[in-house]
Amino acid sequence: MRQDKMLRAAGEPFRKLGRFFKTCGTSAKCSAALMGLGQIRNGQVGKGVVLMLAEIAFLAYFVLVGAKDLIGLFTLGLTEGDPILGIAGDNSITMLIRGVLSVIVLLGMAYLYVQNVRDAEKTALRAQAGRPVNGFRQSLRTLLDEKFYFVTLALPVAGVLLFNVLPIVFTVLTAFTDYSSNVAPPRLVSWIGFGNFAELFTKVSYVSTIGKIFYWNVIWAVLSTFFSYFGGLCLALLINKKCVRGKTVWRAFPILAYAVPGFITMIGFRYMFSGMGPINWLLVKLWGEGASVDFLDINSVWAARAVCLLVNTWVTVPASMLLSTSVLSNMNKDMYEAADLDGANGMQQFVYLTLPFVFFATMPILISQFIGNFNNFGISFFLRRGVINAAEYERANSTDLLINWLYNLALGGGSDNYYGIASAVSILIFVITGTFSLIAYVTSPSYKREDTYK
Amino acid sequence: MTKSKSIRVKRIADSAWTHIVLLVVAFLFFFPCVWLVISSFSSTGSIYDYVGFFPKGYSFSTWADLFTEKTPSNNYPVWLGNTFYVAILSSIFSTVLVILTAYTMSRFRFKSRKTMMKMTLLFGIFPNFMNMTALFVIMTQLHLFNNLNGLIVLYSCSAPIGYLTQKGFFDTIPNSIYDAARIDGANNLQVFVKMTLPLSKAMIVYTALTSFTFPWSDFILPQMLLGGNKDNYTVAIGLNEMTDDMFSLFAAGSVFIAVPIVLLYFSLAGFLVNGVAAGAVKE
Repeated sequence: MRQDKMLRAAGEPFRKLGRFFKTCGTSAKCSAALMGLGQIRNGQVGKGVVLMLAEIAFLAYFVLVGAKDLIGLFTLGLTEGDPILGIAGDNSITMLIRGVLSVIVLLGMAYLYVQNVRDAEKTALRAQAGRPVNGFRQSLRTLLDEKFYFVTLALPVAGVLLFNVLPIVFTVLTAFTDYSSNVAPPRLVSWIGFGNFAELFTKVSYVSTIGKIFYWNVIWAVLSTFFSYFGGLCLALLINKKCVRGKTVWRAFPILAYAVPGFITMIGFRYMFSGMGPINWLLVKLWGEGASVDFLDINSVWAARAVCLLVNTWVTVPASMLLSTSVLSNMNKDMYEAADLDGANGMQQFVYLTLPFVFFATMPILISQFIGNFNNFGISFFLRRGVINAAEYERANSTDLLINWLYNLALGGGSDNYYGIASAVSILIFVITGTFSLIAYVTSPSYKREDTYK
Repeated sequence: MTKSKSIRVKRIADSAWTHIVLLVVAFLFFFPCVWLVISSFSSTGSIYDYVGFFPKGYSFSTWADLFTEKTPSNNYPVWLGNTFYVAILSSIFSTVLVILTAYTMSRFRFKSRKTMMKMTLLFGIFPNFMNMTALFVIMTQLHLFNNLNGLIVLYSCSAPIGYLTQKGFFDTIPNSIYDAARIDGANNLQVFVKMTLPLSKAMIVYTALTSFTFPWSDFILPQMLLGGNKDNYTVAIGLNEMTDDMFSLFAAGSVFIAVPIVLLYFSLAGFLVNGVAAGAVKE
């Protein structure tokens, strides 16, 4: 019974299609046979010719390269190259990317094809109803008017597809291959299903590393977001106090820190906290020889983590302060006067008036800050450069986040790298952060009521 | 009498601790920056010739070396030129793409809009350098690997993903303004060019500046895509490869590229606050 139902549900789109072709006009049928034919039949010669050219161009692409690329996506190459015998061989990785590209082109073409049939039907119905049919010029004009979004979005969407979506799809796909520096072109890469995930969750050294890194990653994301958010808010409130003179001057110092590029700050702090660096000199001066701390050494755990939190707070508080300042300046001052009259003290005003308002206004930013901190690659990368194989870790150290581990797995091993497993890790990160932020974003009031201010 | 006195004492105490905290905070933010400037005047250049926070001797030689030396590990003028080239062109292209995307997403209601918004949110989470292998292959296929233009293409094409702040700004422009123009017979292209663009000058400047500063100080993408050829380096990767005994050179190079950004931020401090707010409240 249930299978029956499912089969029927699966067949529904096809039945719908069948019904469409039974009832539609000749023009739509013509367009379905050859793109643009229906349009020409409707009297829209210019549009028809453009569509026909598009189909011809697509067919030429598909026959010449597209079909081969598409097949390559499944085989990932059949002949292994051999430099000694002079056999060129197949490059699996290039084939993978070109295969994905051909799928994107194919989908785009399918979309255009459906639109073309729909358009032919619509225009034919218009003509039947006795309304005028748009000429080529008018069609172009609608592109600049009702369909202006089509023009404005074409370039951004194309760019994002080629340089963001395509690489992401590629990365996701490599997670299901045995691609590593041992199995890389000219050797053939092949599909291995969920093998990388299985290895990630069964190999002992991986499992223990992933557990420790994930544990720290969550603590890090919560603490660093908390420090930067409330640090910024408190600083903004402090500078906003009535008794503070020269507010611009006080604000200038954090802004100065904000303007210094992040990698410079972090490299600077690495020197400051290094074994023979100024901070240790100061500690020794104050409390004698025993006081020096190996902050960023390979096996240091909580000292290194504390330094990372500290430096990250230094880097992120200024932006958070600017944000809080601007949000606070939008706040209605009358509320505070009313609260004063009612005898609420400063703490109560902060908890019941300031916090809810600031939270509401900055929720989306808070979410993206949390994600940004969860994936904060720079801190561990710059502060602990080159510290990769700490004790009890597989290719990581105590301050590495999942994203650093992914980088180490893919690039940190010199000539011994695991691209497939790294991609599996990136899918893991993606699933975690994606689920979190999609839920948070969709349930946030500013998404639901985006038209409030129109 | 005593009551008003105690209030005054309280007020002074309050003001005193506030200012003390502010002084500490200001010092914490200011000192590392000053330290970097001081370090750039160190005479030996090595991080190991320090007494505490301060170098043993001072000279201007590092600054002279920075602009005159031409060695594999220090080719600063060339790197600076590369960085300028990448940052300026990326800024121009990114701004155009971001403004177009944000405006469209804010003004028009079309079928796939909500889907696209959710998708961009998801793609935004996927950091670019997770895709390094893919980008490497794509850039090689397009002959853009180890090429500054490749960086420009990549920065510009990824920029539209971060359109939300700008969309938040366009959301605040009331529809009535547009409707009036539409009644006067303007089409959407004319509305965009003649009404929206002049209204959003501030936002365009903000976008241009942020999309200039990002490539200007970015490290990860250049590191990935400019392997090998040191003549193609940007300042960021050049500085990162400097060793411990070149610390003053690193400091000088850092100060020099940080100064323009610092000046930029200060001249725009007020605007920055409002620009961020516009995006924050209605993102």
